[in-house]
Amino acid sequence: MHELSIASGLVEKLLDFAEKNPEKKIVEVLLAVGELSHIEHEQLRFCYEAITAETPLEGSRLEVEKIDAMVKCPHCSYRGRPKYWDGALSGIPVPTLECPACGKTTEATDGQECAIKSLRFTENSALAS
Amino acid sequence: MMLEASPDEIYDIELEHSLLEANAKLAVENRALLDKHGITAIDFMGAIGSGKTTLITKMVERLKNRLGVAVFNGDATTSSDADAISAQNVPVVQIATINGCHLDANLVGKGLKKIELADLKLIFIENIGNLICPAEFPLGSKARVVVVSVTEGPWMVRKHPHMFLGAEIVVINKIDLAQAMEVSVEELVNDVHKLKPDIKVIPTSTKTGAGLDEFEKALLAV
Repeated sequence: MHELSIASGLVEKLLDFAEKNPEKKIVEVLLAVGELSHIEHEQLRFCYEAITAETPLEGSRLEVEKIDAMVKCPHCSYRGRPKYWDGALSGIPVPTLECPACGKTTEATDGQECAIKSLRFTENSALAS
Repeated sequence: MMLEASPDEIYDIELEHSLLEANAKLAVENRALLDKHGITAIDFMGAIGSGKTTLITKMVERLKNRLGVAVFNGDATTSSDADAISAQNVPVVQIATINGCHLDANLVGKGLKKIELADLKLIFIENIGNLICPAEFPLGSKARVVVVSVTEGPWMVRKHPHMFLGAEIVVINKIDLAQAMEVSVEELVNDVHKLKPDIKVIPTSTKTGAGLDEFEKALLAV
């Protein structure tokens, strides 16, 4: 389950932030996760909650924003959304690298990322009151 | 404990911090080191039992007298794969991930420090037997090979589409068992091409030797 290693990397960064900014209490983390990445949002949330227990991050929420896949074709001038494989298995269309215009192999330009987009925090002094 | 702050107490900061970047950066460093020594590394991914170790062993057998070959074996706990390849008398680095589900660039980088790179031309990296997790973690290899076998059933490609998008070569292995398994090799090949039309797909059998010449050629062309 690679979500665990990704969540660990995330929590490490956040604890680092918390240590440097002791007056700030993180309440929410927004992640941008690409459609082409192999990261399962629910598992990521589960891992996040498990690792943050009993740390300064306990109780903070992890929100995940899906980033759409985009491709460009080196064979023709196509740039845009990928072609989807509808009947694959699950009912969920699978993004492919087949060019919707010429049928050759495209390259992904967006949708592979997994990044911390923003943090939402409160000042601890406000919470103390 | 759950913290709820009222909206006027909440502050946002924008960050653009990639969680995959640390690994990606180390992968670039591995690649630079390999390039400096004129070494091509090839990453083998595939499920447990797909035949990665046997395929690598067959390729090592064919290539070791012509050029310097080494093998990195990722395995969660055992050294059985590394032991099997060691019989070939080529440098083998066993990388135990201690139950981790994928190799990462850091582990491979450590492995590269353990062996003499001067005489090598080719390094085969056998990833952990897993068709999901390794996709997200480039290692610094020049090409990625995905191995699926007909014994895994007819839906392996459809079930793990992401794995194929990042690969350069796909092997459909154990084709000698296709009939017994009632699995169509042609359909597996078509499935891969639906995901990535120009990718090289090679049906093989390490038992009969079918496709191994073509696979060897494809590896040398990387």
